[in-house]
Amino acid sequence: MGRKRKASESEAEEAFEKEKENEEYRNKQQQQKKNAGEIVPSMIRNKERRSEVHAKLKHQKKVEKRKKIQARDAAEKRALELGEEPQPRSVPRTIENTRELDETVCKPDDEELFAGNDADEFSVVLKREGTAKVLITTARFNSTRGPAFISELLSVIPNAHYYKRGTYDLKKIVEYAKNKDFTSIVVVHTNRREPDALLIMGVPDGPTAHFKLSKLVLRKDIKNHGNPTSHKPELVLTNFTTRLGHRIGRLIQSLFPQDPNFRGRRVVTFHNQRDFIFFRHHRYIFESKESKETNSEGKKAKDAKLAKAPQEKVVARLQECGPRFTLKLISLQHGTFDTKGGEYEWVHKPEMDTSRRRFFL
Amino acid sequence: MPRTTTIECPGCPPLRALTFDVLGLIKVIEAQGTQGGIPKVVERWGEPDSSKCVLAASINDRKIDPLLAVARKGGMIEVCSPINGDVRFTVSNVSDASLRPEDDAVVGLHLFSRQKLELTSRSCTLFTCTTKGNASMRSIEITDSPEGSASVGSSRTWSVCASGNILCTKVDASENYALFGGKGVEVNMWDLENCTKIWAAKSPPKNSLDIFSPTWFTSATFMSKDDHRKIVAGTNNHQVRLYDISAQRRPVISFDFRETPIKAVAEDLDGYTVYIGNGSGDLASVDMRTGKLLGCFLGKCSGSIRSIARHPELPVIASCGLDSYIRIWDIKTRQLLSAVFLKQHLTNVVFDSNFADKEVAPLADPPLNAEQIANENEISDDEETLPVKRKKASKKEEGSKKKKKKKATKENASEVPEENEESEKVALKEKKGSKKLKPKKRSKRSKYEMVDDAP
Repeated sequence: MGRKRKASESEAEEAFEKEKENEEYRNKQQQQKKNAGEIVPSMIRNKERRSEVHAKLKHQKKVEKRKKIQARDAAEKRALELGEEPQPRSVPRTIENTRELDETVCKPDDEELFAGNDADEFSVVLKREGTAKVLITTARFNSTRGPAFISELLSVIPNAHYYKRGTYDLKKIVEYAKNKDFTSIVVVHTNRREPDALLIMGVPDGPTAHFKLSKLVLRKDIKNHGNPTSHKPELVLTNFTTRLGHRIGRLIQSLFPQDPNFRGRRVVTFHNQRDFIFFRHHRYIFESKESKETNSEGKKAKDAKLAKAPQEKVVARLQECGPRFTLKLISLQHGTFDTKGGEYEWVHKPEMDTSRRRFFL
Repeated sequence: MPRTTTIECPGCPPLRALTFDVLGLIKVIEAQGTQGGIPKVVERWGEPDSSKCVLAASINDRKIDPLLAVARKGGMIEVCSPINGDVRFTVSNVSDASLRPEDDAVVGLHLFSRQKLELTSRSCTLFTCTTKGNASMRSIEITDSPEGSASVGSSRTWSVCASGNILCTKVDASENYALFGGKGVEVNMWDLENCTKIWAAKSPPKNSLDIFSPTWFTSATFMSKDDHRKIVAGTNNHQVRLYDISAQRRPVISFDFRETPIKAVAEDLDGYTVYIGNGSGDLASVDMRTGKLLGCFLGKCSGSIRSIARHPELPVIASCGLDSYIRIWDIKTRQLLSAVFLKQHLTNVVFDSNFADKEVAPLADPPLNAEQIANENEISDDEETLPVKRKKASKKEEGSKKKKKKKATKENASEVPEENEESEKVALKEKKGSKKLKPKKRSKRSKYEMVDDAP
C-alpha cells in the first residue's frame, strides 16, 4: 500500500492507521472490480451481461465523440465571430502521411526527369506521334470470368484487339505485335477460372510489368452500373510519385489514346494507394440543380439579398461502369517478356517488406 | 510514433567514382572525410541526350595526366579528363559505312595504361570491340590544337567472330591478351600483339537429360592481375564458370547462381575472389578456388546490376545498374556503406583512385599561404610544359593541391604499411588454407578431366 510506518508512533495511532489501511484496501478492491467491469467486457462470462456492458460502453464513446465534435465546432464558430483564426484542425496520422522518406520521389523541377521521359519507350505514343494500339490475349487456359473480363477490357481500352492465345509462345506473339505495329500487349493470366495476374508490355522495346490482379468485380455484378459509350475515355492517374511509380504510370498511360473525347464524359481511374493500384471506370455528369430551400421563412427573408446569386448549384454525379479491380506490382522487367534472360528494373523481394511505411510507387 | 527504419549506412572512406548512364551523363560522386563520409554527386558532365547513351567506359588513372575513354551510342568514342571532364578529342568508331552504328554498338572499350616505347608520351592506345565482333586497336596522337582533334597514328582491325554477338570483352592487366564472349560465341582469347586467337573454350557436354544449353556469355573477366590464364565467365542461364586455359578447354568449375543471368563479374585484387551480379539485383562474392559462395551483399537492391568496380586500394566495391543507385559496399563485412540515387539507368561505374591523396590536402590549407604563392610560380612553369589544356580558373588551385598531394601521400604511406602487414598475414593464413585444399581441388579437376575424356 506504499505507506511507511514510523517506528516511534503510539499504539493508538497504529491501530487507527491499520483500520484506515484496511478501509483503503477494501475501497481499492471494489474499485478494481468496477474498473474491470467497465474496461474489459470480455472478462464477463455471461453473454447477455457482456453484450449489455459492451453496448453501453460503445454508446458512451459515441456520445463523448459527438460532444467533442460539437465543442470543436462551437469553438470554431465563436472564433469566426470574434474574427480570430480558428484553431487548425488536427490531421489524423495515417500510414501514407507518415511514409518513409524516399529520395526517388519525382520533383517537378527536375530537368533530368523530363529528359528521361522524352527518351523513354512510351514517348512516341505520349507525344502523339503514334497512336496507341493494344493487343489483348490470355494465358493458355481461359474460361468463365476470363473472357468476360477481357470483353470488358476491350470496352475500356479503345483500339484494343483480342487475339486468341492458342498454343503460341508469348515471345512469338511479341514478334507478331512488333510486325503489326502494336504499341502494347496486355496478357490476362487466369488461374482456376479466375483472372489473377496481368502482364502489361510495351512494344517494341518497352518494359514488361507484371501485376497481381485481385478483387475483380465485373460490370454485371456492380449495382446500378452504367454502360460505357465508345468515346475515348479520359484518364486519371493519381499518386504515382516515385521514379518507379512514374514509369508505371506512363506505361499505363500509353495504353490509352492521348486525345480523349470530353463529350463522352467517360473517365478511367488508376489510383495508387499504398502500392495498390485501384482501377475504376465511371461516367460522370454535371447537373445544375436549384439549391435546396430548406431554410425557414424568416431566415430566407433575411438572406434574400445575399443568396440570390448562387441560386443554381452544379452537382457532379458519378455512375460506375465497367470492371473494378486492384493491381499490385510484382516486377518490372527491362525489355519485352523474357523470363529466363531478362533483366529486371525492379523486383519485389521479401527483404523490402521490413516496414509498413515504405512504398515503392 | 511511426516506426521508421532507416537504412544503416555507415558511410564510406574518401573515394571518387564516376558513373555513366543511358542519357549520356557522366556523374562524379565523391565521399569526403576520413571516417564515414556520405558520398554526394559533385559534378555532372554533359547534357541529357538519349542518343549519346554511354555503352562502355575505361579509365587510366595514373598519377600524371589521367584519361577517361567513353564509348557512346552513336559510334563515337570520347577521351576526356576524369578530373574536370574536358573532352580532349573524339574518335569515330564507325568502320563500315553500310552498318548503322546502332546495329554495331561498342561493347568493350579499353584504354591502355602501358605506353609503348616507340610512341611518344602524348599518345594513347584504344582498344574497342563491337557486337558484330569487329575489334580494333588504334593509337592516337594528341595534337595541341584547341579543337582537340586527334590523328590516328596506327590502327589495326580484325574480326573476332564470324557469327553471333559479342557481349563481353576484357583486356588483362598486362594488356597483352583480350578475351571475348557472347551470344553464340564461346569464350576465346586473343593475343593483342599478333592479333591471333590463342585459345577458345569448348561448350560443356549435354546434361543427363540430353539437353544442350545454347552458348550465351553475358560477362567475363580475368581472375588475377598477373595471370592471364584463368578466366571467370557468367552465362545467360545463370551459370558461373571458371576456365583455365593451361588446363583444358572445358570449364574447370561451374556452378549456378540464383535464377537470372549473370550480368556483371569483377575480380578482386587477391586473385581468387570474384564478385558476381545478376539480372535481378543480387550481388555476391565467390571464392573461385573452390566455387563456394562466400556471401551475398544484402541491401534493398532490386534492379539488374550492370557494372561492378573494385577500388584499387580501399576494401570497397561499387555496383550500379537499372535501379539507378550506385551502391558502395564493404568487402569484408559485405555491408552496404552507402547508396546514392542518380535518377537514370546506369551503365557503368569506375573508380578514380587518385582521389584519396587530394582530399587530405585542404586540411593543411590555411597556414600555407606564403608557400602557396611561392608554389604557384613554380607550378605555372610546370603547367606550361604540361600537355593538358585546362581552364585558367582552376589552374592555380589544382596546382597548389598537387604540391600538397605529395606530402599527403607521405602521410598516407606511413599509415598504410601496417594494414598491409596485417593483410599479408591474413593472406598467408589463407594460403595455408588453400594448400590444404589443393589436393581436393586436384582430385576434382582430375574428375572433370575424366568426365571430359569419357564421352
